[in-house]
Amino acid sequence: MTRHPAFVVVAAWGLFNGVLLAVLAVYGESSLVYWLWGGVVALLELAALAVLLSSLAGPEQHVGYRLPGRGGVAVLPAAVGLAVLGLGFVHGWWLLAVAVPLLGCALLLGAVRGRGAGDE
Amino acid sequence: MNRRQVFGEVLLVETVIAGFVFVAVLGLLAFCLVRRRAGAGVSASQRAERPGLEGYYVAALASVAVLLVGYTAWQNHREQDPKREEPVRIDVSAFQWCWSFGYPQAEKPLQVSGACRGKQQPTVVVPTGRPVTFTLTSKDVIHSLWVPELRYKMDAFPDHRNTFTLTVDREGRWKGRCAEFCGERHSTMDFWFKAVSPEEYEQWVDAHAGASTARA
Amino acid sequence: MTEAATAPTTDSPDRRAVASGGWLRWLTTTDHKRIGLLTMGTALLLMLLMGLLALLMRGQLAQPEENLVAPGVYNQLFTMHGSGMIYLVMTPFAIGLGVYLVPLQVGAPAIAFPRATLLGFWLYALGALVMLSGFATSEGAHADGWFSYPPMADRQHSPGVGSDLWIVGVFLATVGMIIAGWAVLWTALRRRAAGMTMLRMPLFSWSMVATCLMVMGAFPSLLAALGLLAAGRADPSIFASNVWNIGYQHLFWFYGHPVVYVMFFPYLGAVAEVLAAFSGRRFFGYRGTVLSLLAFAALSMSVWGHHMFTTGQVANDYYSLTSLVLLVPAGVEYFGMVGTVLTGRLVFRVPMLFALAFIPQFLIGGLTGIMVGTPVIDYHVTDSYFIVAHLHYVLFAGSAFGLFAAVYFWFPKVTGLMLSERLGRIHFWLLVVGTNLTFLPMFGLGYVGMPRRVASYASFDGFGLLNLLASCGAGVLALGVTAFVVNVAWTFRKRTLRGPSPAPDDPWGAHALEWATSSPPPRLNFTPRHPLPPITSNAPLLDLRQRAASGAVPEGRASEGGAS
Repeated sequence: MTRHPAFVVVAAWGLFNGVLLAVLAVYGESSLVYWLWGGVVALLELAALAVLLSSLAGPEQHVGYRLPGRGGVAVLPAAVGLAVLGLGFVHGWWLLAVAVPLLGCALLLGAVRGRGAGDE
Repeated sequence: MNRRQVFGEVLLVETVIAGFVFVAVLGLLAFCLVRRRAGAGVSASQRAERPGLEGYYVAALASVAVLLVGYTAWQNHREQDPKREEPVRIDVSAFQWCWSFGYPQAEKPLQVSGACRGKQQPTVVVPTGRPVTFTLTSKDVIHSLWVPELRYKMDAFPDHRNTFTLTVDREGRWKGRCAEFCGERHSTMDFWFKAVSPEEYEQWVDAHAGASTARA
Repeated sequence: MTEAATAPTTDSPDRRAVASGGWLRWLTTTDHKRIGLLTMGTALLLMLLMGLLALLMRGQLAQPEENLVAPGVYNQLFTMHGSGMIYLVMTPFAIGLGVYLVPLQVGAPAIAFPRATLLGFWLYALGALVMLSGFATSEGAHADGWFSYPPMADRQHSPGVGSDLWIVGVFLATVGMIIAGWAVLWTALRRRAAGMTMLRMPLFSWSMVATCLMVMGAFPSLLAALGLLAAGRADPSIFASNVWNIGYQHLFWFYGHPVVYVMFFPYLGAVAEVLAAFSGRRFFGYRGTVLSLLAFAALSMSVWGHHMFTTGQVANDYYSLTSLVLLVPAGVEYFGMVGTVLTGRLVFRVPMLFALAFIPQFLIGGLTGIMVGTPVIDYHVTDSYFIVAHLHYVLFAGSAFGLFAAVYFWFPKVTGLMLSERLGRIHFWLLVVGTNLTFLPMFGLGYVGMPRRVASYASFDGFGLLNLLASCGAGVLALGVTAFVVNVAWTFRKRTLRGPSPAPDDPWGAHALEWATSSPPPRLNFTPRHPLPPITSNAPLLDLRQRAASGAVPEGRASEGGAS
């Protein structure tokens, strides 16, 4: 097949979307649809590019793996911070005063390497 | 009732195809349940695939798909086939939560409306045998005009006009509904759709034109 | 990051890996198995809750002109049932199953982006909380249906805070699923073990590749739609123009159709694995099925307009064309499934029962899908109970049966415990009877003119009998799900009472790599005591057994190919 099958799968899948979009153009649709789907095709090709770059940089199949050494302790405040940020839309943007410290806390926790609750 | 007829034909064709496929799959499964049981003394085949058979099968599926696409597109356009005759025009305005039907061709203003509470459901009257063009719009949210008996519905958008034309070929009075969810009283947003002979229709228009709102 | 070999040197934490660790370790875990379990567990709990909402609705509709719940409450119930089942149950469970299984199936010790995956779970869980918190507000929860068209969902027509909470909740959950989907996709594409070529990946992993491609392509469109809705709630003048009303529908359905396949493919993949395992053979037509999954997924991106035929503002012919063409890849998948059982040696354990029922039941959903993809039929049946029946045959009679097949199949692997076969069979039969009794009458209801999303109907409408049947069916479904809950609870209880009744590594004689390791799998999935077997095809364990049986003559090369 090819030396980068993963790239081919994503790229071809995106391309197939492009072909379907081209057929739709024959029938005619509103311009919003072209922007939307065209943007998605571009996004998919970008993803394919990311896969290709990764394939070029590393092996296609693995014998050894890089594994995370730390737990995800920074994730919890990050997620709560993002949720509070979202609630700002509902209850008013004063919630930023809660969200920003939480996100800062998450960044700080994430920055401390090899510390925190290791994952067993 | 051109649309009802086309609907009926296409549904019949697709139901027959679907029924055949369903029965075939069910039959194969039933065969497996009986004959391919572990207790029936069979052993599993290890043949991974049969590309040749699969090729013919895909070709058959594809030709069914092409036929179906062509057939349904043709029916779709047949349904919209416009009659040469000048249609009766009815302006439909949907609102939370009822309908208002206007007859712009009447000599004096003619508007049918109601509150869709209790028995206050508006009745839209149309003549049989003549094409009727409905122009739909909405005063607030999206609604959808559905007359199940006619097998047709069309959405009513605010800030937009949708039109459709149909011909009713027999007299009768049928329930019409709102099919697009539109809030608290969506389920009671019903109206009556009444088809009468052209003569009766003219009489009805003459009798009601000029009044601010009419009830049939 | 630390560099580590596939296998740690000690074998001692092999069996107790999943049991160890306090609750904080669980909540901040970077183990893909734990993240997957957290996601699937949350989804199953929410499924019970959403099912309760459905029971209330069926209670309200059992008889004409009932007043069990007020119309306003009913509208909240169907909105939360629909959006909950779609955004918070079937999609997350599907992705969570992928998070758990894909690394194992491709022989990797971990998922590609473990911390991001964990973030995905938390955004989903918090999103669910935010969405459901609408019930606690004075105006109640959001009440505009799962697709919430503007202007109905703008601030003027839906002033409640519940609607804002719904938008935020769905947004958070969807962002979470996009992140987790990326991690699963990247794992399948870029973390495969030596020997695991693309065309040796099990069908479940392939179904996750197709699923995550759709997640990547289609889910951002929902975020855009929700953003538009939020903007419209801040500035109502946006939805005074038709451009954005119809634009919202395009944005929404561009997501809203592919998501149906996101909620279907992983379960189809699970069913394929179950059918192959209990037929004692490799899946028939593996390569054709892989190709059809990818084609199916791409086509699914092109059919969204068939939800909009009656808007009078879309290119009906195109969407009808692509919708009908879907029958080709769907037909290929059925060819594989039926071909597998037709040439197999069938063993009827509980997972197999669910997988077998999936085949004809989903077929009803698929065949009626062809009907609603035909404009002239759709004009009559759309927004009626026919659609409710169709979508429940796809998502309940199809996907949920696949979900339960997956649960019964992988439960021993995940927990190290066997579920009760007897209770499983009771669950299965109640579910089959309940499903068809509930949803089959709805086709009739839609055909004779009952619109969907109505809080009540008049006694002279003639909808009474069919609705009563459907409500009785819902009761049977509730009994079936209760049997499942009892089964799971009893299995765990038995463990604490009598000590573990361990499941073997491979209780079913299955094919993929996850069955080569212990039950439950150790932290890094494969250890020297449970090493990766040689990956010789898409069914490496079957190859091993066949080689052993035929005296080490390599025979399992039937579906090699695709060596990259």
